[in-house]
Amino acid sequence: MNAAFNPEELQGNILRGYRSNMVRHLMLEVSDRAKARQFLAASADGTSSEIPAITRSANWKEKPKLCFNIGVTFEGLRALGTASRDLDSFPLEYAEGMAKRAVKLGDFGESAPEHWPAPFDQPDRIHIIASLYSDEEQYLDQTEAQVAKAFTVLGVRNGRNLPDNKVFFGYVDSISQPRFRHVFDPAQIKVDEPKDPLGTVLLGHPTHFEGMLFSIPQPDVLGRNGAFNAFRVLQQDAKGFEDYLDKAATQLLDHPKGDLLLAPEDEKRVGKDLDRHGALREVVAAQMCGRWRNGVPYELSPDAQYPEKEVSPTNYSYTRTSRCPAGAHMRRVNPRGGPIVQRVANYSRRLVRRGMSYGPDFDPENRDGAERGLLGNFIGANYGAQFEAVVCDWLNFGLQDPEITGTNDPLLGANVPETSAFELTLKDGGRIRLNGFPRFVKTRGGAYTFLPSLPAIRYLAQISD
Amino acid sequence: MDDPKLVEDIVHALDIEGGSAKRRPVHTIGIGATGVFEPSPVAKDFCTAEHFQPTEKPLEVAVRFSNGMGLVKEHDGWSDVRGMAVRFKLSNDRATDLISMTLPVFFAPTPETFLQFATAARPKECNRETPWQKIRDFLKLQIPMPDPYPGQETRPNEGATEFADKHAYAQPAVLQASVIGAPVSYVRASYHAVHTFIVTDPDGTDRWVRFNWQPIAGVLNTNPLDPPVGVYLKEDLEKRLAHGIERFSLMMTIGETGDDFNDSTKQWPPHRKRVMMGLLTLNDVPKDQEAHAEKLSFNPWLLTDGIRPSEDPVLKIRKDVYEFSSNRRGGIPCPFSGTEG
Amino acid sequence: MSDDGGWLNNYVNSLPERGWFKFLSKYVVVPYWVWREPKPKLPGGPRPSSQPSDNVQRMMNLLMPLKDTSPIGRAKAVMALAQNVDEIFAGLDNVGTVHSARFLLVEDYICMISVYDGDFSNYIRDFIATIGSVFDDLMHLVEGGEALYPCEDHVEEFIDWVKAHDLFQAPDYAINLLHVQDEAAGRSPDAPPHELLSLPRELILQLHSNRNISLGGGYRGYPGYSAAQVRDKLGVGW
Repeated sequence: MNAAFNPEELQGNILRGYRSNMVRHLMLEVSDRAKARQFLAASADGTSSEIPAITRSANWKEKPKLCFNIGVTFEGLRALGTASRDLDSFPLEYAEGMAKRAVKLGDFGESAPEHWPAPFDQPDRIHIIASLYSDEEQYLDQTEAQVAKAFTVLGVRNGRNLPDNKVFFGYVDSISQPRFRHVFDPAQIKVDEPKDPLGTVLLGHPTHFEGMLFSIPQPDVLGRNGAFNAFRVLQQDAKGFEDYLDKAATQLLDHPKGDLLLAPEDEKRVGKDLDRHGALREVVAAQMCGRWRNGVPYELSPDAQYPEKEVSPTNYSYTRTSRCPAGAHMRRVNPRGGPIVQRVANYSRRLVRRGMSYGPDFDPENRDGAERGLLGNFIGANYGAQFEAVVCDWLNFGLQDPEITGTNDPLLGANVPETSAFELTLKDGGRIRLNGFPRFVKTRGGAYTFLPSLPAIRYLAQISD
Repeated sequence: MDDPKLVEDIVHALDIEGGSAKRRPVHTIGIGATGVFEPSPVAKDFCTAEHFQPTEKPLEVAVRFSNGMGLVKEHDGWSDVRGMAVRFKLSNDRATDLISMTLPVFFAPTPETFLQFATAARPKECNRETPWQKIRDFLKLQIPMPDPYPGQETRPNEGATEFADKHAYAQPAVLQASVIGAPVSYVRASYHAVHTFIVTDPDGTDRWVRFNWQPIAGVLNTNPLDPPVGVYLKEDLEKRLAHGIERFSLMMTIGETGDDFNDSTKQWPPHRKRVMMGLLTLNDVPKDQEAHAEKLSFNPWLLTDGIRPSEDPVLKIRKDVYEFSSNRRGGIPCPFSGTEG
Repeated sequence: MSDDGGWLNNYVNSLPERGWFKFLSKYVVVPYWVWREPKPKLPGGPRPSSQPSDNVQRMMNLLMPLKDTSPIGRAKAVMALAQNVDEIFAGLDNVGTVHSARFLLVEDYICMISVYDGDFSNYIRDFIATIGSVFDDLMHLVEGGEALYPCEDHVEEFIDWVKAHDLFQAPDYAINLLHVQDEAAGRSPDAPPHELLSLPRELILQLHSNRNISLGGGYRGYPGYSAAQVRDKLGVGW
């Protein structure tokens, strides 16, 4: 590590994922300020057996049984007694909170905050979101009980890793993450994307923009080395998605240009046991995402989910003649070095993504419509420049490429069947336009939280009224 | 007919003193004209309907312009909504209609609420504000209700405004209707088809769209401060077309995610994508107005392959309301061949 | 237009054009209503929208008040921009989402009038990242500008400042002014409905708070298309 920051002073979930099997997010209200402060002091100290210690960023030899981190909402800072002068130094997006940013985030219609279930129907009461990570449920229960002694638990969301790191739509997830200057991450050793400056996620460090710094909320001890997180409860309509793939594949079976999308001789390279309809389903799924469901990047292997020669999961970029559609999910949220309209913005809107699934297992052969989805954390130094910029200009709307401007992300976008559109790319450079797909991911809650450094947590614990 | 009672109630609510069951209940006074329609070169890329395909010979059209109110006596100079019904004559004696009015937005989102509105806005005795009421309005920074026109005994203004104060959905239409004025000519106004239709392009992609006619001569109203002239619109059109032609552009606005496709009380913003679909040229006012306009039964559901109605419930019931009205006055029944209606 | 409702009626109808009544309205009636129903200043720039055609060809009408309004002060502002034409053009080329941008010197304001695609704060942030130095020069010359110098280190504050100096954009349809006011006041729109006749008063009171406004979003010759889409279609690259 490097002198740029002290890993002991940083919450551990910012720069790396814990790769635990389970997560429990507790939505907390500060109902007794003194108790809350006491808890935070002890949690930052890490010496009490009754109060979970904040997990730090330092490398560990043996993984703890439980990792514990907290995010504080703007109302939470206020509830903990932060001076109004200091509150004013926080950015507008954070002060308003996620529910008020709904239009920018595509949270309208069924995804609108008015429809969010408790506790997200009362966003002002959510002060802290504590995230507990473990491989064993008993540690989650034990820690929750400890937390409940100091805070009112408004709500609980449990998440878990699905087998093979998949999400309910069937894709292998969590392959590409930013990697940072000054940070050694063994999981990213073979990745050759440009490294991101620390200021991408940590306040007080250089950003991607030459000479540009994001303001550090005041006092410095509170803001520095903190990060902002968008916590999202995203319902995934796995049944709707698989049903749509059936429909699209059926249309494509008769399409005159179908062979340019999938040559008959490539069907078995998409899946040994698949018929043409089944293989076309996978091609549509792969082009919509930008990866085949097994994680292989579509850009590097447009004709085969199982290429004969291994391809890198991370090392590629996009070009004007890419087979990966400009509208594909992966390419929208991370256009890499590829051509984008906002040339100054290449690599500038990077985000750390951490997520686990919630809800019952999904069997694509026997589809049910139960609520299931993703508990996602999207971490960066500036909501406006990163999370919101990606969601409102790229993921939805598609401003980065004239070919897709006016359309939304096929997987995550705020689509309605009347106007949704996605163009599949063909071998000869042509396109087939798909229409009529619904919104597959709905927002069911969330909050903007600040992930304070350890010194900041100590600062919050010692504010006096 | 889904709800014959509702259809009848609506027509009866529109019937007013001074109207006639032998005539149209609204848009009673009108004039027919004929001409041709030429689709723009791009129209075919958005809609496969016959009238948007390139042809050697321009398509013949019959148009009826009208005053919105249901009075048999003409009051051309009164502030009123005007109508423009266009029939495109297709091959094999088929036709398709496009019905529009100078108001860009409708009064109510459903047939039931429209019935309520029409009942509330039935013309009542004009209620001239007293000077003291007007002064009170000025002191409240409000604009007084206009004085009645000379000879005007009843009007819908008071009832409509009272209704709109209770029902926000009616406000855009009532507000715009209250200041709509009188055009100097039927060909100096723009007309909006108001409802959403679905057009299909050659690739099979559907688009939710709204149409409007833009007069090439430009929009021009009479001076509202001058005393209104009773009758001039028919004569104006006859004169104009006796000496030359008058033209309208057909513009098509494309709705997008988040627009309400089924609610014609919601006007789309002016910066939706807008396609130039064609040019209408009027060249004659036929002598036999009875056959060329008064007996014709226009219907917004008279459509053709490539264009279909949205789920707008008001558009839905228009089909039956127009038919009912047409049968009552002995109009030529409108044929529904070739539509999904 | 009116029929003969008597001389008093005719006189009352003419009141809005009479000098004494105008005087009364200006110095008594309007101030009374401003006191009774004050309208907070509505924020500048286009309102957030999820709809594609609302997000292209957005209008910026940025009015920056000059500190020194003398000819010398004005000349300084002109020079600050004239000396940086290269920076501005190169910057806006690479921001990529700009249809047009120009500067005006009007009365005591230096104005930036621009048409751009996408989110407002992304636009400002991207152009500060590329032409921040131009604004650094300008910030010394406009009121409240020192606190934003250098712009690169005050991006969030600069975005807020621009928003505060960008003209309020009145809705395209008059009636929607009531809804914009409702939203700003935290009321749910039309609950209960407003009286239709109150609209002129609401407009007058709003213009008291927002003296300068943009009248709707304006006309567009090819609405719904981004700068890059137009360039792409014209074959001049993006």
